[in-house]
Amino acid sequence: MDSLDPRIQRLNFPKWEKDLEKNHLDQLETYEVFVQTKEGKPYQHEGVVHASNSDMAFLFAKEQFGRRYTCTGMWIARSSDVSVSQTTEADKSVYDFVEASANSDQLESCEVFHLYKRGKQHRHVGAVQAANYEHALSESKKTIDEQKTVYNVWVIKSSDLLKSAEEDKVIWSTLPEKQFRDAIAYKGADKIKEFKEKQANS
Amino acid sequence: MYGGGNIFEPSNHNDVLNEDPVKLQEFEARIERGEKIEPSDWMPKLYRKQLIRMIEQHAHSEIIGALPEGTWITRAPGFKRKLALMAKVQDEVGHAQLLYSAAETLGKSREDMISDLINGKSKYSNIFNYPAYTWADSCFISWLVDAGAIVNQVANSKGSYGPYCRALERICIEESFHLKYGHHCVIHLATGTPKQRQMMQEAVDRWWAPMMHFFGPSDKISVHTEILMKWKVKMASNDDCRQQFLDMYVPKIWELGLTVPDTNLKKNEETGMWEFTEPDWEEFKRVINGDGPCNEERLAVRRMAEERGQWVRNALKSADMKYVTPLA
Amino acid sequence: MTEAIKDLLYKIADDQLIIGHRNSEWTGLGPMLEEDIAFSSMAQDKVGQSLAFYNLLHDLGESDPDTVAFMRNANQFHNCQLVELPIGEYDFSLVRHFLFDHAEMIRFEMLSNSAVEEIAQLARKLVGEIRYHVMHADVWIKQLGVGDTRERLQKALEMALPYALGIFEESKYEQDLISNDIFSGEQALRDTWQSSITTVLTETELQLPDLTTLTPLIGGRYGDHSDHLQPLLDEMSEVFKVDPGADW
Repeated sequence: MDSLDPRIQRLNFPKWEKDLEKNHLDQLETYEVFVQTKEGKPYQHEGVVHASNSDMAFLFAKEQFGRRYTCTGMWIARSSDVSVSQTTEADKSVYDFVEASANSDQLESCEVFHLYKRGKQHRHVGAVQAANYEHALSESKKTIDEQKTVYNVWVIKSSDLLKSAEEDKVIWSTLPEKQFRDAIAYKGADKIKEFKEKQANS
Repeated sequence: MYGGGNIFEPSNHNDVLNEDPVKLQEFEARIERGEKIEPSDWMPKLYRKQLIRMIEQHAHSEIIGALPEGTWITRAPGFKRKLALMAKVQDEVGHAQLLYSAAETLGKSREDMISDLINGKSKYSNIFNYPAYTWADSCFISWLVDAGAIVNQVANSKGSYGPYCRALERICIEESFHLKYGHHCVIHLATGTPKQRQMMQEAVDRWWAPMMHFFGPSDKISVHTEILMKWKVKMASNDDCRQQFLDMYVPKIWELGLTVPDTNLKKNEETGMWEFTEPDWEEFKRVINGDGPCNEERLAVRRMAEERGQWVRNALKSADMKYVTPLA
Repeated sequence: MTEAIKDLLYKIADDQLIIGHRNSEWTGLGPMLEEDIAFSSMAQDKVGQSLAFYNLLHDLGESDPDTVAFMRNANQFHNCQLVELPIGEYDFSLVRHFLFDHAEMIRFEMLSNSAVEEIAQLARKLVGEIRYHVMHADVWIKQLGVGDTRERLQKALEMALPYALGIFEESKYEQDLISNDIFSGEQALRDTWQSSITTVLTETELQLPDLTTLTPLIGGRYGDHSDHLQPLLDEMSEVFKVDPGADW
């Protein structure tokens, strides 16, 4: 049958062929996306996008992970720039396995993210000054006051994070008005009630 | 949106027997405790393989599922519907993005998955091989196909694989918009003018059989999936999902004065189970194997979109770019 | 003055609706999933913006937005011809998006200071949305306006430019709008637009032709359209017109 979709009809592309072949393409790079939904709340990992650079990753992330409710900021990091700890289980915390280490090399600011429950998202907990990944873990164990069991830790150098600019925050300003993307905009109970009453009366 | 009827390969027990027994035991104990498996954890080969297969089919169903409703995207009547349908179809693309990413954490790239889709090597939900003839068809899909998908996805979101659960939680929130929007559309048609009403009834008549197929063949005739249930890959039986759907939505269809084209459909008050005419599983098999009214078109359109976009994606590539799998 | 304001609002609302409609044609068919989503969001923004402007018109006594948008014929639409052209391939859609959104951003910035408070308020509210649209366009143009894809983009640019100049077709109320501080006028808009797009294009290998040598394709603001608009409207209103009185 011919397509019922006028967009497809317009393209006039050759009749469907049985033999489908797609040129194999390599993947673009992977970027991890962190979102702040309200001022003051920690940035939380929301997922990934594939993109060619961090600017484009930001464009993509903004609509894939911030097109509903509210958003006040977004951070983007190349997946390959994230250092990942082992994942622990039950009552064992990643920090139980971290030994104190000192380092006098050039220190850099590193952002630290914790996973509090398997299956949930990593959350930003703060930044430490560290020379490398092991040092960052040890510094974070020492300086970040953590009450909960931490099952996994991500460390990203602050300079590897693309952070949305303060003056760009207006790009999210109309988000709360986009109610057409939200279930609450579609209420039908009154119409059903009216319909049933009409039926009962006829 | 996705139903049951996952096509699992019959599991070969030798696969599991060859696994390291200590690691296997730890893995199963973790699932038993209700903890999620994360990408860096050890997992049996069979678990990885079946999960990739399932999540991939789910992702394909989203991207192909954008097509039947997309048929009406330029024709939605009025601003409210126009904005909502655009957002709804966009969500399906978004869901595909989330699901492909979840599957990628298991080691198969998105490009490979999409290749398998358009080369016909991988399945997607059968229901999208049917045409959306009128606006009312798109309303049926938004409401009831998504309703069916929610039944399945809520069950799956309690499964054992972390990245899939995270994706599903997000998806289920968005699906609640689809469900309400779709119901809103159907209410307006069913309680509207005689012409609108007729349009809606005809859509229900057309889509009922595919809807019953949506949850997959009866458990009595499906491949055995005990180990997948134990590993919390498969979370609910096809028959249970179908029963749950009927229980929740048949009364809502009836209250709008619409009829369902199955005279045997009724709830057995003693057993609490819905009785219905056995769906035509031969037709189901035929369509899933490529012979439905829209199989060719769906894949051809997907391939065309890939081909038209190829120069764009090529331009984004550079030699020093290195793909890594998503972290979570 | 009300007629002048209505004329201004109609051209903006019609531009937004038609480009939003066109760009929504990519939803589900885009070149990659993430871009498909981003482009669709912007199309939704545009349609939402048109609705906001039709609402202002409704406050001024015009019919309700659905009737205005779904029941008029092509010769009653005030959009520029650029927005009604078919989506073409992605190069054209991106270039149109780039040219149109730069103009739109400047138009909204200008309107933020309009003497008509309702318009100024709405313009201020929408500036953030448009800022993202321009950001999106610029990143893409810079990415594709070099290397192997430069030629595709250059062709699309040359095809789109005469239409883009039609954005700035003056209305018969131009002087009234300017002297009453309602809108700074199309000429001022065009000048700022030209320097705005030039800044981005100099970061690419694309060449901006001498715009004074091009003949702008105008008429849209007065209801004179290409052959593409009426079919677009027929398609858009196909279901609505099954029963325009019905509640859909």
